[in-house]
Amino acid sequence: MNEHAMKLLVVDDERHFLETLVKRLGRRGFSVRGADSGERALEEMSASPADVVVLDVKMPGISGLETLQRIKADYPLTEVVMLTAHADMEAAAEGMEFGAFDYLMKPMDIDELVYKIEDAWRRRSLRGLKIQQMRSRARTSPDET
Amino acid sequence: MIRALISRLLAALGWGDASSSRGVAVEELQAEFQARYHHFKLLLSANSEALEAMTLLEEALHGQTPFGMHFLRATLTRLSSSVSRIIHHLEAIAPGKYTALLHQFQSIRHEVSPLLASNAEPPSGPLTLPLSSISRNDVDRVGAKMANLGELRNRLDIPVPDGFTATAAAYAAFLSHDGLGGELDRMIQARSMDGPEALHSLSSSLQERIIMAELPSEISDAIMAEYEALASRLASAPRLAVRSSALGEDEPGLSFAGQYRSELNVGRDNLLLAYKEVVAAKYSPQAMSYRLNKGVRDEDVLMCAGFLCMVQAAAGGVAYSRNPASMSDTAMVVNAALGLPKSVVDGAAPSDMYVVKRKGGLHIQSMTIADKNMRQVCREGEGIFRQEVGAEEAMRPALAEEEILELAELVLRLEQYFGRPQDVEWALDQDRRMVFLQCRPLYGGPRAPFRGDKGVPANAQRLASGVCASPGVAAGPVVFVKKDADALSFPEGGVLVLGHPLPRFASLLGRAAAVAAEQGAITGHLANVAREFQVPAVFGAPGVMGAVREGEEVTVDADAGLVLRGRVERLLESRPKARNVMEGSSVLAVLRSITPHVLPLHLVDPDAPEFKPAWCKTFHDITRFCHEKAVVEMFRFGREQNFPERRARQLVTDAPMQFWVLDLDDGLADGEWKPTVHISDVRSIPMLALWRGMSAIPWPGPPRVNPRGFLAVLYEASANPELDPSMASSYNTRNYFMVARSFVSLQSRFGFHFSSVEALVSDRRSENYASFRFKGGAADAGRRTARVRLIGQLLEEQDFRIRLREDCLEARLDGRPAAEMEKRLMALGYLIIHTRQLDMIMNNPNEAAAQRTRIRSDLDQLFQS
Repeated sequence: MNEHAMKLLVVDDERHFLETLVKRLGRRGFSVRGADSGERALEEMSASPADVVVLDVKMPGISGLETLQRIKADYPLTEVVMLTAHADMEAAAEGMEFGAFDYLMKPMDIDELVYKIEDAWRRRSLRGLKIQQMRSRARTSPDET
Repeated sequence: MIRALISRLLAALGWGDASSSRGVAVEELQAEFQARYHHFKLLLSANSEALEAMTLLEEALHGQTPFGMHFLRATLTRLSSSVSRIIHHLEAIAPGKYTALLHQFQSIRHEVSPLLASNAEPPSGPLTLPLSSISRNDVDRVGAKMANLGELRNRLDIPVPDGFTATAAAYAAFLSHDGLGGELDRMIQARSMDGPEALHSLSSSLQERIIMAELPSEISDAIMAEYEALASRLASAPRLAVRSSALGEDEPGLSFAGQYRSELNVGRDNLLLAYKEVVAAKYSPQAMSYRLNKGVRDEDVLMCAGFLCMVQAAAGGVAYSRNPASMSDTAMVVNAALGLPKSVVDGAAPSDMYVVKRKGGLHIQSMTIADKNMRQVCREGEGIFRQEVGAEEAMRPALAEEEILELAELVLRLEQYFGRPQDVEWALDQDRRMVFLQCRPLYGGPRAPFRGDKGVPANAQRLASGVCASPGVAAGPVVFVKKDADALSFPEGGVLVLGHPLPRFASLLGRAAAVAAEQGAITGHLANVAREFQVPAVFGAPGVMGAVREGEEVTVDADAGLVLRGRVERLLESRPKARNVMEGSSVLAVLRSITPHVLPLHLVDPDAPEFKPAWCKTFHDITRFCHEKAVVEMFRFGREQNFPERRARQLVTDAPMQFWVLDLDDGLADGEWKPTVHISDVRSIPMLALWRGMSAIPWPGPPRVNPRGFLAVLYEASANPELDPSMASSYNTRNYFMVARSFVSLQSRFGFHFSSVEALVSDRRSENYASFRFKGGAADAGRRTARVRLIGQLLEEQDFRIRLREDCLEARLDGRPAAEMEKRLMALGYLIIHTRQLDMIMNNPNEAAAQRTRIRSDLDQLFQS
């Protein structure tokens, strides 16, 4: 589960924040892309699905929560970490119900964000492994019966 | 139930026909363990986060640190997301078993959410109002400052400059335009407010954002129309003072004195910019820190603005209808400067002080004439400037005696009309006509009147003397603040020493022990705020800057108007204890309404029948319940399943106790499963540390209670009515380590007490923790309690936070680097073994003290090895 194999996407409409975060995560060896809206994020996903998405909650256009739902529907293995300055218990609860991996509040220590991303990646890898194993059993079981 | 779970899992994994696909199955089993352990670890992290958030709330509730609504919303959001993750991970560990928790979680959330919402109705009505149509009934539309001026002008016929206001509705319209308000909230939330530097940088980006924002045309049109109407009333194009008049100002105990902005002498072309600047000043550093310290919610402050014709003042100042340091003192205090009253308000230039007695007819008791070598006057164009004053004029009283009495009479009339002491800003125009610019209630402390230097020890060295601007006595190191940059590094508990007591230094009063200033009067804004913050202050103390050295300890005895060298303990002892500055604030009230749904812990005993999801009434309950169940589920799954590769192994040891080790993921070296395991095979960092502490120093055996030693313990045990026979079997339970590389959990029952240690130790410093629970014993309750106190004390010395409940001890340490965590775990390991039967001797103070000394020296020895 090598972190360098992970594809990471950061989504935030605040340009300056987005650029800084992409740069900082890049310096830590992540292969990371940025998107400045929910629409862009979905385009990026269909071009090449990310394993972990860091997603802002409040954005003009498609909201963060809606983007989350669409990502989880189309790419169920992708883990989504919500990162937002929007302090709202209900939005957080909704995010978790829609399958977000975590709901983090800005300001966020970069190390802690990195930990969450690594945890999300491990989670995604373990789930991927399980599905792989199930598939391979589905292939082998007819021979056994 | 467990069997059913296992067979479900077996079926899912296709384990049934083990022989044919054994290799695959072992791999799958491995993955299954990894996945479960990962959920468990994520649950533990979320658990730590939840506990941290709850600790923050608890500290906010009891502590002295101020906080705002942003803190509450962010902390509750973090907490609620942590709790939700905890439930989710428990569900993954034990599918379907605890789903009832979701319902409990939701109902708690639905109780708390509305308490955090801002419930204010957005204000409506006209965007501007002329002063002629305003009275004090309009306070909710125009703010207290303008409502009072309207009252003075329209109902009391007291001269007030003509003008108009931009209302709360205008403010609301400005903030909702283009999502400005939401963006400001987001900026505040996203930035940490730790320290003055962060506060200043946040403040400047918020203000800049407001000033750059586009003013909706309906607001600019309304303001300009009011201005044209004013100009035609006056038949000239007046220049105006644009001043804040916030809603929420002038509440009891909340003066907001000088925390906002006044733009003076503004012409037509710059009115709209000045308006935006006044609105932006809601986020000046001093206003933000004032609200934070006073527990005022940001959203409750609506910035209205007053636009008043500028007075070309010959003299101006502030008058108090009483002495604010002692309201029973009915003498009126007037400070008067030459030129604009601003000099008095911001302490920027010297001012006269007149005291007017009301008993026996108004008469002047004293006039203290300052050398008023400077005045502030309006520029030809815009703005104001400081002008030097000739020596002869400088020494003349700013007001003639009959003018002082005229002013005093008006102030007295206001006090009678409003029914409470008043704080008035006044100016004398070029025709020497008295005009009022502001009028608000004066709040003061109930403290004793100016004490004079009675009680000051004769040997105390007097460094400077001045007037008591805010009563009280405090000591601390001298910190000079000469420019704004000095303010950034102002330390907690410093004595603020200033030349001019400018209102913007109010942002330091949350941290200052006391204030001393060369200039300034008791009627200035900083004095006002110092009184509210109960920070002792001596103003008008010439030479104080030269009399003290940076960093030197001084005592400010404001009751005597003195600055003294060193700490004068005799004066400090009589100082009343500081109260919570948040007391009575709306933010604290919100927190208090929330905590009953969050903090209390009802589920303390895992063996009690109430230890069920349905009994989880708070976030704390859910957190505790899930943690307990997660540990139990991990244990059961590991211990009771049938995979030989994963069975618990007995630890090979010389110790008289038996231990089993259960590997959750990567806690033991790879290799074939054997029934026993050597400590050299253990890869778990925290278990190794704990074990080092447990095994390094041999246990000397139970303390010698009497020659029969252990028999006595047995005797006590059988005599202890709290030992439930049905529990007896659990005392025979084996001691288990559950381990992974970065995790250990040890549940043990040694003799008659129960203890559990749990720790996560890795490179991720922020996630590291060690927790310890200890309960029971065979001795009577008094001695058991004495023992947990002793252990608690020893753990506090190791930086643990502890909580004691009868004979139950909980200790926790978070966020230390791995090496430090290991050291603390060694200490825990040592204590588990070596305090085993301490309770037997706890009623012998000498023996207990000897044990404490022995334990301390053992720990030192342990850490050095």
